[in-house]
Amino acid sequence: MIDSILLVDDEDLFHLVFEDACSLLDISLSLNSLNSSDEAAKLFQKWFQSGDDNDKPECVFVDLNIIGSSFDGIELIRKINFEYGNHVVIGIISSSNEAEEQSKAIQAGAQFWIIKSDDIEPRLEEFRKDYEGYKNRTNPFKIYK
Amino acid sequence: MIKIDKNTKSQLIELQKSKNISLEGNILKIIDSSDDPEFEKYVKNSIEKDREGRKKRLEITKQIQTQNKNLTDLNSENERINSEIKCALSEMEESKTKIESQNSELIEWREENERITQELHKALSSAEEAKKLAENDLDILQKKTQFELIGTIVRISLFVIIGVGIITTAVYMIALFSDKDTAIIASTWSNMLGILLTNSFSIIGTIMGVKYAASSKKDE
Repeated sequence: MIDSILLVDDEDLFHLVFEDACSLLDISLSLNSLNSSDEAAKLFQKWFQSGDDNDKPECVFVDLNIIGSSFDGIELIRKINFEYGNHVVIGIISSSNEAEEQSKAIQAGAQFWIIKSDDIEPRLEEFRKDYEGYKNRTNPFKIYK
Repeated sequence: MIKIDKNTKSQLIELQKSKNISLEGNILKIIDSSDDPEFEKYVKNSIEKDREGRKKRLEITKQIQTQNKNLTDLNSENERINSEIKCALSEMEESKTKIESQNSELIEWREENERITQELHKALSSAEEAKKLAENDLDILQKKTQFELIGTIVRISLFVIIGVGIITTAVYMIALFSDKDTAIIASTWSNMLGILLTNSFSIIGTIMGVKYAASSKKDE
């Protein structure tokens, strides 16, 4: 089970769906949700500068297009991986399935891509099974369709 | 995992029984209840209750999410239709402006045509007048030439008559003064003089007519 998850998504309703799905599937004990990539970047910057990792999430799910933010999910992943040096399991959760975007996400250091749909539970279940591989950095980039 | 003391466990179990209030959420997943079967049952029930609640909420949230998505799609469709309508209106406005511009050009052309037609009418009437004048001048010129010809003929005829009269009179005078027989020549001279006078008046009348016609032409 994942200790803590951070979801960055502009859609508040999806926060509820994701939280309930994660709870029902016993994926995580703790889940925080943000609806802006700027807020998420600030948090990671803070953790990076202070060196205090106590409340830092273990795994981060980022939406691709975050309305109302200065930059998109791929840019957030790039910042987290290459600017803030935080070694978290991180990937995209989006309704988009564009190969070009997925390629960009890989370059930014994303480890997975979960496609959002009405039936998200089977994909999260599959992700849960693969999680240890992502944590150990042994799993390759995977798309959950 | 966290352990809960016996008293708290009893209170929690009692609360569930009396008021149907239980612990909820992920806290249940980290409670160690393995040493107390009754509390283990309580935790299990609470987890089950929590799961049922979450399932219901998840279904409702998904429904709302679907409805929101449909509404968003409808909104996008509406926006697309509005945009198309705006484009169509804009095109119509452009077409209207173009047609108005063309109409104004056509009106200008029509006015120009009317102006040119009027000028052409004026030019035509001037040309017709000029033609009439030219025809009139030509007629007068022809008449003048005719009159001049007649005048010349009359003048020559008069000179011939006067010449004949003078010659006849001279011959008669010679015959008279040379005591020759003048009976025939006298009657001839008399007849000749009568004819000459008659013709002379006729010729003089003609000359006067020609002169009058010539002077009328000059006045014109």
